[in-house]
Amino acid sequence: MGQRNALAKRPRIGEGIIQAFLFLCGAISILTTIGIVYVLGNESLRFFTRQLWENTNKRLVADIGPEETTFEVSNTGFTLHTGDVLQIGHEVVEVVSIQGTLLTVERGVQGTEAAAHRAGPEFLRANRVSLIEFFTGTEWKPQIGKFGVLPLVNATLVTSAIAMLVALPLGLAAAIYLSEYASHRARSTLKPILEVLAGIPTVVYGYFALTFMTPLLRSIFGENVVQIFNTASAGIVVGILIIPLVSSMSEDALHAVPDSLRQAAYGLGATKLETSLRVVVPAAFSGITAAFVVAISRAIGETMIVAIAAGAGPDFTFNPFESAETMTGHIVRISGGDISYNSIDYNSIFAIGLLLFFMTLTLNIVSRRIVARYREVYE
Amino acid sequence: MARENERYPEGEALIQQIGRRHRVGLIWRVLFLAATIVGIVALTALLYNIINQAFGLAAVENEKNPQTIALDYQVARMLQAPNTEFGENDDALVAQIADDPHAVGFFGYAYFQQYGDSVRALAVDGVTPSAETAASGEYPLTRPLFLYTTASLADQKPQVTAFVDFYLQHVGDVIEEVGYFPAGEEAMAEARSSWLAATGRDTLPAVDPAAFDGDISIAGSSTLYPLTLRIAEMFQERGFAGNVEVENVGTRAGLRGFCVDGDVDVVDASRTILPAEFEACRAGGRLPLQVTVGTDALSVVVSRQNDFATGVSLEEVRSLFTAAESWSDVNDAWPAQPIARYIPGGNSGTIDFFAETVFPTQLAELPKDALVSILAPTISEGVGRRLEREQRFFDNYLIFESRETWTTICAAAEPPPGCTGAPRSQQNVYGLVVERVVVPDVVQTWSLVDSIFRRGEVLTQIAREYPGAQPEFRSWITPSFVTNPQSDKPELSGVRTAVLGSLWVIAITILFSLPIGVGAAIYLEEYARENRINRIIQTNINNLAGVPSIIYGMLGLAIFVRAMQTLTSGVAFGAADPTTANGRTILSAGLTLGLLILPIIIINAQEAIRAVPTSLRQASYGLGATGWQTIWSHVLPSALPGILTGAILSMSRAIGETAPLVVVGASTFITFDPDGPFSKFTVLPIQIYQWTSRPQHEFRNIAAAAIIVLLVLLLTLNATAVLLRNRYSKRLT
Repeated sequence: MGQRNALAKRPRIGEGIIQAFLFLCGAISILTTIGIVYVLGNESLRFFTRQLWENTNKRLVADIGPEETTFEVSNTGFTLHTGDVLQIGHEVVEVVSIQGTLLTVERGVQGTEAAAHRAGPEFLRANRVSLIEFFTGTEWKPQIGKFGVLPLVNATLVTSAIAMLVALPLGLAAAIYLSEYASHRARSTLKPILEVLAGIPTVVYGYFALTFMTPLLRSIFGENVVQIFNTASAGIVVGILIIPLVSSMSEDALHAVPDSLRQAAYGLGATKLETSLRVVVPAAFSGITAAFVVAISRAIGETMIVAIAAGAGPDFTFNPFESAETMTGHIVRISGGDISYNSIDYNSIFAIGLLLFFMTLTLNIVSRRIVARYREVYE
Repeated sequence: MARENERYPEGEALIQQIGRRHRVGLIWRVLFLAATIVGIVALTALLYNIINQAFGLAAVENEKNPQTIALDYQVARMLQAPNTEFGENDDALVAQIADDPHAVGFFGYAYFQQYGDSVRALAVDGVTPSAETAASGEYPLTRPLFLYTTASLADQKPQVTAFVDFYLQHVGDVIEEVGYFPAGEEAMAEARSSWLAATGRDTLPAVDPAAFDGDISIAGSSTLYPLTLRIAEMFQERGFAGNVEVENVGTRAGLRGFCVDGDVDVVDASRTILPAEFEACRAGGRLPLQVTVGTDALSVVVSRQNDFATGVSLEEVRSLFTAAESWSDVNDAWPAQPIARYIPGGNSGTIDFFAETVFPTQLAELPKDALVSILAPTISEGVGRRLEREQRFFDNYLIFESRETWTTICAAAEPPPGCTGAPRSQQNVYGLVVERVVVPDVVQTWSLVDSIFRRGEVLTQIAREYPGAQPEFRSWITPSFVTNPQSDKPELSGVRTAVLGSLWVIAITILFSLPIGVGAAIYLEEYARENRINRIIQTNINNLAGVPSIIYGMLGLAIFVRAMQTLTSGVAFGAADPTTANGRTILSAGLTLGLLILPIIIINAQEAIRAVPTSLRQASYGLGATGWQTIWSHVLPSALPGILTGAILSMSRAIGETAPLVVVGASTFITFDPDGPFSKFTVLPIQIYQWTSRPQHEFRNIAAAAIIVLLVLLLTLNATAVLLRNRYSKRLT
């Protein structure tokens, strides 16, 4: 009996604790995601609900006491609407109804205290950044209350498009060469070099863009055409940065295509090029597309190169030789140094960050879906 | 039918089509290869660009010439030595030496010759000055004698050119009579030809002094004075109608008169022109031309009544003319009598030459106390006291602080570091002298390629655009660049604080993310069942790996810097002052980067763990091991090389990360070393970013140098990764 008990399964508390700890380690990644979404969402919410006080040029005509809810304002300035939130001195009031120049308000809202006011001071009206303005406005000038994200998105898309023009053809061609053409020796020399390229910090690429690519572009197209900071230079260098990513992911996909397919093509009399382009590449299409999508996502999120070489100042331009500020570049510029918390700048970068996060997340998910759905499975 | 033919050609057409298809194939093959090579080209261009910027010519404007500073210091030391009399009138000085058995001095050989019956010359390093030892260069104090003039005077004052011609023709006849030695045949021929080239003639004409008129003003060295006087007399004897004036004021004063005031036509010089003097001349529109006329053996002279000293070593010469008070201080065999010194004055080329030859005049080679005495008079009391509080100059005495104040401040609760730390090194003081006395200012820089292939052009450009600047070939990456803290002057700036910051941050990062990452990987590979939560965790990790790094920076800013401020600033641990501390610390940065590389570490560790064969686990279970025992003793050791490689690769990713740390708020200007997880900090990539963003070209150069430091750091890390992997995998297989 005693023997059997000794061999029976015993609860091992130590093992349980260890397992729980390891689970927590795994869960930290979930916490990170939740943290990202919460932080970006929360600060963005503040950005969109934040009141920006704007002078209405309307003034109080007569003195009012703390109890009065109806008073007269001057005829000048903005037209007010029911529901507007106004500020007089330190007090915030909400407009309940309007009859000509007579306002009926609710006193002391938003935690302020109703107080007596003398005639004279101008009203400030609360403005909010609407989602519509955020997504359609073509000016990003926080100092005058313009928050249209399009110039930043536009610059991001221009640099990413240029980067893709560089990285996709070159990366794919390199992948085809390495996978289909290169001898074992050539492959073992060329591949590590591409990997070294991928391991260089992006700030070094930024330096390269500013001190090499930009002067090169300016000497080719003329100093009057190409500005010192421009999206073309940044885009090309982002493209170079991404070549290894595209080529290594595409090469993996090409490599996974079974040899039997190639042999069948050769058997039908196809040349190497025809086999590569018409048989192998289509067979690896899902993997290659996934590589492209990940590359786009990487280009959109790339920060230092554009922060250094693309310029500061959100300008809405499609000209790649002009300076423009990307979303990431703007975040870096605004947050460099001591940004004060709860300022409109602080909130605004989180709104941009949220947009950026969703753009890259969507692309990453799309890429994973492509692989999962369109993958040709070869036995 | 036609289409059918095209698709399935026969005969000749078939051969043509196959040929065409192969040609197209070949073209594409080349294109594919070219695309692959673009990567190599890009890498080469990147490295080329960095090297090109990290080295090259720079135009440097020194507020003071370092060599002049050192020379002035040595000269002043001689002039201030106890019991020293000096002046420009060598005759008077020699006469005084003759009467005093304990006197010593140094003069041109001519003076020694002239007074040969009352004074004698000491052998220096065992060599007595004579025509032979001077000609062979064996005598250490041999020096050439020069005239300086300029070719641009030829038009206004032809008599000056004629005089120099005359000088060159006749110096050989009289020089030994005066007491000097002719310069070697080669040196004279060279002097003649460069003089002729500068004045645009082929041969030295026979000069008839009677054909010239006007004034000639000659000034300078007292050493050369007797010789020039002799030749001027000859010039006048042969019928020169004008007036030749020869003044005995010292080389320095003569050159000043020639270069700055412009009232001297020919300078007698007993040493070569200094770079600073040359610059002054050029700025004054007179390009100085050097003409060698003879050789002197500078003689260390004592009275004939001196019966104890016959020879001195250079080492003894040094103390003889500076600190030593009595003869016995210099050499024990000599009497304990005070030394009476009679030397040429501060304007003379002789003392300059003597100082230059006998003492080190490279600023960097001066001893620490010399550097301190150069530094002390040039900085204000306040700055001096601050420097001394930071770090003392000497162990046993103070330079700027009074003893009482020092005792008080060192008794305070938090004494300044100077109270306890080791005193400054010679190198450290040299750095201060360069920073505060020499004050180099790089006004323009050129890339390496320009510096090599367009050197001439660049040098002319420097001469034209920056007349006060010296061209200097600089390597922007130097040992002091690595050890200096940041500075707002690029030439003094270094990456010390940034490198330390990077190391601190990376240490925190890896301490945080390696255990958690490996833990998560173990959980996912060894424990997790195929259920929803675990699938979500896995997908989530894959997605996190694709989130742009700047988003992590914003997460870090909101969570670590702001929400957890009391923890990350160190206030909660009493490690920081609550009123000034904020969360922009090394700890916040390390944790942010830790989250950033966590997915990479997890994915790599998962792969390493997955590669461990199941048989190993089964064997372990079969022997009765528990789950954790199996993992700890068998799975983890086998997976270790893979895990470590992944960890090191993610570390190198973290070291190069810039954007998240900018957002988290790495400080941009930090001059003190980070001293713990709660310090403010900067890191290498941020430093590079900052310097790259500055418009001045010099900052681009130091950014390139910082990039080299960063790449070397990364290379070291990756090499370690490869070594570790090789070593461990060998042991395990």
